[in-house]
Amino acid sequence: MKVTGTSTLAADREAVYRALNDPAVLVRTIPGCMRLEALGGDAYAMTVAAGVGSIKGVYDGHVRLADHQEPGSFTLHAQGAGAAGTIGAEVAVTLVEDPDGRTALSYDADAVVGGMIGGVGQRMLMGVSKKLAGEFFANVEALLSAGVSAGSLAGGGAPEPSGPSTVAPTPAGTPAAPGTVYTAPTAAPGRQPTFLQGVVVGAAAALLGALVGGWIAGRRG
Amino acid sequence: MSESLVRVSFTVNGAPYDLELPPRRLLSDALRHDLRLTGTHVGCEHGVCGACTVLVDGAPVRSCLLFAVSLDGAAITTTEGLRAPDGGMGPVQRAFHECHALQCGFCTPGFVTTVAAYLRDHPSPTHEEAREAIAGNLCRCTGYVNIVAAVERAAELLAGSAGSAGTAPDGAAPGLPEDAAAPEPSGGASRRLPPDPSTVAAAPSVRPLADGAGAPPASAHPAGRDSS
Amino acid sequence: MTTKLFGQRVPRVEDPRLVTGDGRFLDDLGHDALEAAFVRSPHAHARVVDVDVTEALEVEGLVAIYTYEDLDGRTNERLPLLIPHPTLTHGRTQYALANGEVNHVGEAVVMVVASDRYVAEDAASRIRVEYEFLPAVVGVAAARAAEHLVHDDVPGNVAAVMVQQTGDAAAAIDAAPHRLELDLEIERSASMPLEGKGVLARWDPDDRSLLVHTSTQTSTSVRQALAAKLGLPVDRVEVVTPDVGGGFGVKIVHPWPEEVLVPWAAIRLGRPVKWTEDRREHFVSSAHERGQLHHVRVGYDDEGRLLGLDVEFWHDNGAYIPYGLIVPIITSTQLLGPYKPGAYRVEFRSLYTNTVIVTPYRGAGRPQGCFVMERVMDAIAADLGLDRTVVRERNFIRPDEMPYDQGLVFQDGRALLYDSGDFPASLARLKDLVGWDDFASYREQARAEGRRVGIGLACYVEGTGVGPYEGGHLRVETDGSVVVSTGLTSQGQGHRTMLAQIVADELGVPFDRVSVTTGDTRRFKYAVGTFASRTAVMSGSAVALTARKVRDKALHIAAEALEANVEDLEIVDGHVRVQGSPSSSIDLGAVAVLSNPLRYAFDEAAARATQFAAPADPDRAPVGRGEQPGLEGTDYYSPPRSTFANGMHAVVVETDPDTAEIRVLRYCVVHDCGTLINPMIVEGQIHGGVAQGVGGALYERMEYAPDGQLLNASFMDFLMPYATEVPDIEIDHLVTPSPLNPLGVKGAGEAGVIPGAAAIAAAIEDAEGITISKMPISPSDLFELRRQHASREDSA
Repeated sequence: MKVTGTSTLAADREAVYRALNDPAVLVRTIPGCMRLEALGGDAYAMTVAAGVGSIKGVYDGHVRLADHQEPGSFTLHAQGAGAAGTIGAEVAVTLVEDPDGRTALSYDADAVVGGMIGGVGQRMLMGVSKKLAGEFFANVEALLSAGVSAGSLAGGGAPEPSGPSTVAPTPAGTPAAPGTVYTAPTAAPGRQPTFLQGVVVGAAAALLGALVGGWIAGRRG
Repeated sequence: MSESLVRVSFTVNGAPYDLELPPRRLLSDALRHDLRLTGTHVGCEHGVCGACTVLVDGAPVRSCLLFAVSLDGAAITTTEGLRAPDGGMGPVQRAFHECHALQCGFCTPGFVTTVAAYLRDHPSPTHEEAREAIAGNLCRCTGYVNIVAAVERAAELLAGSAGSAGTAPDGAAPGLPEDAAAPEPSGGASRRLPPDPSTVAAAPSVRPLADGAGAPPASAHPAGRDSS
Repeated sequence: MTTKLFGQRVPRVEDPRLVTGDGRFLDDLGHDALEAAFVRSPHAHARVVDVDVTEALEVEGLVAIYTYEDLDGRTNERLPLLIPHPTLTHGRTQYALANGEVNHVGEAVVMVVASDRYVAEDAASRIRVEYEFLPAVVGVAAARAAEHLVHDDVPGNVAAVMVQQTGDAAAAIDAAPHRLELDLEIERSASMPLEGKGVLARWDPDDRSLLVHTSTQTSTSVRQALAAKLGLPVDRVEVVTPDVGGGFGVKIVHPWPEEVLVPWAAIRLGRPVKWTEDRREHFVSSAHERGQLHHVRVGYDDEGRLLGLDVEFWHDNGAYIPYGLIVPIITSTQLLGPYKPGAYRVEFRSLYTNTVIVTPYRGAGRPQGCFVMERVMDAIAADLGLDRTVVRERNFIRPDEMPYDQGLVFQDGRALLYDSGDFPASLARLKDLVGWDDFASYREQARAEGRRVGIGLACYVEGTGVGPYEGGHLRVETDGSVVVSTGLTSQGQGHRTMLAQIVADELGVPFDRVSVTTGDTRRFKYAVGTFASRTAVMSGSAVALTARKVRDKALHIAAEALEANVEDLEIVDGHVRVQGSPSSSIDLGAVAVLSNPLRYAFDEAAARATQFAAPADPDRAPVGRGEQPGLEGTDYYSPPRSTFANGMHAVVVETDPDTAEIRVLRYCVVHDCGTLINPMIVEGQIHGGVAQGVGGALYERMEYAPDGQLLNASFMDFLMPYATEVPDIEIDHLVTPSPLNPLGVKGAGEAGVIPGAAAIAAAIEDAEGITISKMPISPSDLFELRRQHASREDSA
């Protein structure tokens, strides 16, 4: 199944690029994402709660970011399996900065869906995929607008039941140490964070986090 | 986007129900799917055919045109509620059976409730009144002739004036009383004549006709068994 | 000695369950199933450009959305063309979900599956389909003109051109002393059963088998079609017909798109899936029938005898033609009725239009043919100033001319050969029943009172009991009960009662010990279906033959047990006994036990059949070559051709001089369906058919707008008769048994509807003195005809 789409984010390309490659951002912005655990080398084990229509389930999977050409493109390889079915996807992401300093993002995905959710029909699958993608990018944009940037978020640490961890944030661009676990702080299992929640979560994390820095101020606008 | 539910309480065939239903749930669907009383049928969902007719506080209404939540406190009667106390055929139902007033049976529940209510208020209709009484219900199988007869037969049974109104324990049709012939549809319909021997083409391969073929039997019919 | 049940008005075994509300119709089943709804085309002819499901995704409870692209395997092929014919050169059938193009309002485009029907419809209503409009072809005239095409690769919108003829009709007509030309039209109606279609499918992943319940007239054929389309072995698919709320022909079509899609979805989703159509869906996505336009030329002599008959007609088959040419073939052949036409030529064109498909509706083309022939007879009578019954009588095939070969090929591919019937006797009975000879004075009397009354009659012949075959299976259980099954289906015709009567008589068992199953492929796998008035002939005969087979086996086993001769035995009330010596008997249950040599006794009665229980011939095998254990048997009935029933109806109508309202005062039927198994059931069938005939004459028409919108797709606007529109029906039977089957029966299911339009048209014409050539006729139509007639007379 081919799913393609575009999105415009009100942030500059570098900020978007790094956000998309930051596990602490991903865990807060991927709809339904509950947990990301670094495996080393830009690979993560991921737990996501997702629904296709009324077929809702929790998926355990594996995500690997590759082919980095900062800040213009990268690829994402994902595999997930849950009681409701299996997903495999190869996504090519391209970022282009427009004259207003915004980022035009386009994605091109090849997905294979199996199991029960594989039975729901192409248009529904594509529709849900695009919807989730749209939510994801909106969440990222919200996080960036709230003054959060890649590397500024806390949340990486040893596995903990809830709440932010106290480990210092990983500087932007540094791959996370294997074993580092990222959780979406207020997202209870099974709930998909809404757009508004993403903003709140991001802002709270920024306040609780360690670093603000002129880097943010310098990058705004 | 989930629907809010509304609490409603009513009785159906004397049994009380306390339900939480979406406001837009039709009474026909609530009876059939929430209460599993599938005797009431849905033929058109726009109130014309009458197959969905139930009694609400004794009055016949189209259950496909009512929202179940609007029936709080009502006493509803469906065709299941018109059975005999032992679960067999009640008098109106028995009349339909005796008069061959049903074929596929899909429209029948709506007729049974309509007729029951009508005869309660008009116990001795004339032939034309009986026809008018059922003129709001569609039947595609029977051509109505036998249904009109069933209205009249039901009037007799309810008045207790002809034949037995009881049923066998398993609800099977009992034999007709020995001294009663099969009810004649009135209005001159269905004159049953024995075959004219001179018109029967002699064909050696054909079985001989049964005795009195076509004539109403004088003795009791053995009950039949429906296998499903 | 019990009374023979064959020929008795036995009350139905089906009734107690149905009348107390304990029926099991399709929607009563599968409460745990997911439910489907469809997005159907609102346009008569369009390309499907895009399907946008975004808004539907928000609906809670949504499970799946399917379009054509999702269909895999053979489900993405067109649905089968069920009855091919050499002249059907341009047959087109539809896809289960529209593949880029829709050809009638109501064609399924998207399938939605959800937790219940309410939710499914919510989701369906949020799906946006983008269409590119194409010109719609609606009505015979537009199809003929062919300014636009329904299918790009079907020139002139012509699916088929077919000619049948005997003799040289053109020459005969030209040489005849008298000639007439008529243009006649019948409009579309539909079966319109009170229960629509429905399908429930369960896939068992452990067993890898599919169980489908469907409101159909042919479960065995649906099974074959589903196995083929879903790529399953046939023995992994079972199809069960539940209680069905009427069929009248529309449910013989198979597989409906939904019949394929619902099981397909159930397999994909691993959950049971159910779909029942609502009334509007039935109007726009099931089937219609009756729409034809005829041009007739007839030549006759001074006595009114037909010398040549030439019929050309145009048949509207709708957007697709899955059922082939059956309806117009039946029109072509059954048009001849009980008459000798002299030379006959019939040519028809079956035309595509952007409307709902056309497949048989009770009568299946005969009402149109009867209308044509009977209007011809009346026209001849009017022209020659003869009594309408006299003209008919002069043209009848006489009883001593039976069997009579009309020289044409019937809808079963066999000869149109009338095997039985006494038309003069039937007509005499009808005249007596309605008081034909006294009517003129009654008409005068009414006229004096300011009333307008008229009388009309119509005669028809009906080929019934078409093949290829039906079968029966019967088993006597060890407790003496008798279990019978046949493969065709029931929609209210009382088959189980009728067949139980036959078995009770043939086998000699009490009626209440016989139970019959129909339409369940788990019980009987080889069958054709219920249509063409064939059940009594086909399954009745098959079950009778089966019962005789089992009776024979029972007698042989009992003879050994009783140490008697087979010829001396009889079976009465379930006991096999020596005639004249009733104490020497063994009941059938015990015979059943003995019929199955056992090693293990599963109950006390079974002990009789175990190896040490009774002395046995040590050199004889317990089950001989060619024998089978058990007191059961299977047999089939397959006739060389159809057997011909016939009937004649006479109608008295009254028309209001001011409002042109039309009332049927009396409806008389003389009916010959051979021997009657259950006269009560036969009469019920006639009643129902007559009501549909009245409907077709006065009320029922499909109102299609030129753009292909069906304007009256509800019971508010498509009018069917209520009890006040159908009078008490007077029936007289004539019995000319069929020589083609062991019971002498002929079919009765469709008879009542066939001559309705013809007889009522004739009666109105008699009351008004205005020629009626188009049916149905409403008071407005009659009013307009009166106006036109008056202005013609004024200017004459």
